[in-house]
Amino acid sequence: MTREQHSAQATARPPVLRARGITKAFPGVLALDGVDLEVEEAEVHAVLGQNGAGKTTLMNVLFGLVQPDAGEVYLRGRRVRFRSPHDALAHGIGMVHQTRKLVAAHTVLENLVLGHPRARGLLDLHAARRELRSLCQRYGVHVDLDARVWQLPEGEKQWVEILKALYAGARILILDEPTSALTPPEVQVLLRALRNLVEEHGVTVLLVTHKLPVIRAVARTVTVLRAGRAVARLPVSEASDQELVQLMVGQEVALPGLPTDTPRGGVLLEVEDLCAYNDKGQLSLRGVSFSAHEGEIVGVAGVTGNGQDELAQVLAGLRPAASGRVRLAGRDITHLRPLDRWRLGMGYVPADRSEVATVAAFSLVDNVGLNYHFDPEICRRGLLDRGRLERLTRRILATFRVKAPHPYVQARHLSGGNLQKLVVGRVLSRQPRVVVAHLPTQGLDVEAATFVRGRLLEAKSRGAAVVLISEDLDEVFAVSDRVGALYEGRFVALVPRHQTDPETVGAWMAGLAGRDR
Amino acid sequence: MSELLVRSLEASTVFLLAALGELVNQRSGVLNVGVEGLMLFGGTAAFVVAKSSASYALGLGAGVAVGALLGGVHGVFSIRLRGDQVISGMGLWVLSFGLTTYLGSPHTGPLGLPPFPTFAGLSPFVHAGVLLVVAVWFVLSRTSLGLAIRSAGENPAAAAASGVNVPAVRYLCVVFGGTLAGLAGAAYTLSYNPVWNYNFLMGWGFVSLALVFFSMWNPWILLGGSVLFGAMWQLSLNPEYVLPGVLSRYVWRTVPFLVTVVTLTVISTPWFRTRWGLAKPQALGVPYSD
Ligand SMILES: Nc1ncnc2c1ncn2[C@@H]1O[C@H](COP(=O)(O)OP(=O)(O)O)[C@@H](O)[C@H]1O
Ligand SMILES: [Mg+2]
Repeated sequence: MTREQHSAQATARPPVLRARGITKAFPGVLALDGVDLEVEEAEVHAVLGQNGAGKTTLMNVLFGLVQPDAGEVYLRGRRVRFRSPHDALAHGIGMVHQTRKLVAAHTVLENLVLGHPRARGLLDLHAARRELRSLCQRYGVHVDLDARVWQLPEGEKQWVEILKALYAGARILILDEPTSALTPPEVQVLLRALRNLVEEHGVTVLLVTHKLPVIRAVARTVTVLRAGRAVARLPVSEASDQELVQLMVGQEVALPGLPTDTPRGGVLLEVEDLCAYNDKGQLSLRGVSFSAHEGEIVGVAGVTGNGQDELAQVLAGLRPAASGRVRLAGRDITHLRPLDRWRLGMGYVPADRSEVATVAAFSLVDNVGLNYHFDPEICRRGLLDRGRLERLTRRILATFRVKAPHPYVQARHLSGGNLQKLVVGRVLSRQPRVVVAHLPTQGLDVEAATFVRGRLLEAKSRGAAVVLISEDLDEVFAVSDRVGALYEGRFVALVPRHQTDPETVGAWMAGLAGRDR
Repeated sequence: MSELLVRSLEASTVFLLAALGELVNQRSGVLNVGVEGLMLFGGTAAFVVAKSSASYALGLGAGVAVGALLGGVHGVFSIRLRGDQVISGMGLWVLSFGLTTYLGSPHTGPLGLPPFPTFAGLSPFVHAGVLLVVAVWFVLSRTSLGLAIRSAGENPAAAAASGVNVPAVRYLCVVFGGTLAGLAGAAYTLSYNPVWNYNFLMGWGFVSLALVFFSMWNPWILLGGSVLFGAMWQLSLNPEYVLPGVLSRYVWRTVPFLVTVVTLTVISTPWFRTRWGLAKPQALGVPYSD
């Protein structure tokens, strides 16, 4: 069956849910640009796309949480307008969000009843309990209705959300990245249950994901979103992995124009079998080993949530390593405090520039001081030399082209791009030997992003070893000497850039480990 | 002695009414530290209107209406404008303090009406207070509106995703809180102590606020706490009933405030904090935007 035949068949059987020309702009981004979506009754329809492609926004539109600027939604052929989730729920559409939307302090039962269309006036918890018991039995789910939600493991919380949608009468279930917080066995249970819901109970599932194995396991049809556009809709059985990755990543991946001509020197950073726990206590960095040489940029690609945060923070000394080693120029720094690492020549550009890297209410001078307060040039016997600090700040503002009225303006008044230039400038002006840059150009416009990349290349040509952790494949390919991908806490591979291509790395990011083209 | 009991219960009722309203708006996630101001304004409005119209009913209506209105103002600041709730609440208190001093001073002195009618030997505010405790407990724990209120205070994003109109629920609760604060002020100036003078409340609103935290947001504990504080206050006025001649009445009068300090200290111990932290509405004082 060709793609055209498939869509011909789709018109023959009217889709249960159809969206046409959905457009939504947020300040500075066109999140959705005329997106069409057609979902048939009782199928698992996957929506595939990289981070930032607009998947969540599209689902929020269908669920009434976000109002589109343009476009229509049809339910069983009838035009509908959802002003709030309440409307969507009343029309039998339920959603399980990417971030949990449960009241942690309440019991499972209370969470399930909250907002239920029939829960008006008095709460009849006994009747609700009976109904939910039979619902659980029907769908083969086991949850303790009297447990407090905060006590439950992640997989069960997700079940509570699914059950909640079904209990509210949902016949169309939207799941936004449902596997991202689950362990592999929990994922298997979930996928089996979804298949069962669709096949035995005729529920329609809209499954948002960037993981190809998940799509392969359950979905019949897939719509691929890229940069706010629906670039394809095709049956999963007919699409090859390569095709899907290519659709998701886009062909416009521009290969570098920037020289990577610095000869590689000796090893500066060595990471050996590094493991770390995330904030929830799960082992999310599971044995990462690599080295970074003098005058080299190592690009670490990957979709957020696969251990990038933990890797960056362990390298910076902000998160303890569960096991493994980190060496800087041969010296073991695994257990050193961040400040000692900085003194040894480590520079860190955190992913979150406005919350972690800077203090919004501080002036630019004070924000620069945050990286220099221990420097004997700036701080003598505990006293900050304000004059020097101001001169330093002025120098950074000029060299790194930060547009700011004066050095004493509060950081909160800087735009994202200028703030990031300040952060990068602050780190690089210390001439670090090793730079860990985490999402250094996220959300920046082209000019600022190019500038920041240029500064990283400059640091490299000065002889620094740069670890660039990024979600942006174009960026990774534009500046890195070696390219790797993190997937579920492990490096899929790490190879010289000219030996691979964006499609291959895209496949690694999507969990198609080591599969060569 | 029974006179002391009656007066204690009436004092307790003033604490109770104000604190109960504050409890409800806190359960929905809105903190109003300006209860004292709302009580001052409601009490003054009730006093002035009752005095000039010679009608308790009109006075009571005025007190309640002013309280509800100020609750609504706090709602606009903290829900619609997503401002800092502490600043808005303190602002309301300062504003009320100043305005009631200005508006009330020509009426300084006794109300000059026949005593407020009683019911079964007690001011009807006492009965109303107890009924309201039952009602608030029932609504919060047994109705779907109550679940919506508690969810809005714990995790407004989850409530909204469940189809709850979080701003509407919060407005309802702050206006209710303001209404009860106004009622508490009216209970003070019409029944408990019908004499207007400058800053007549002397911090009762702040004691009520502390009672809410101390009650761990449970209306029954709040009832107990209010009775305790009312009794202590009354004792501090007439210590000779219990321990004749021991300490000056001025020392006794500091007791409720000392107890407040002790309570807040106890609340800040790790032991209490863990239990308290579980009871505290997670989103209390946090502006909600979706
Ligand atoms: N509430 C919002 N305000 C501003 N920008 C937003 C908002 N929500 C999403 N975006 C932006 O819209 C784009 C699409 O985001 P999203 O739909 O979350 O993507 P996905 O779910 O595919 O990762 C991103 O660039 C994101 O930064
Ligand atoms: Mg998303």
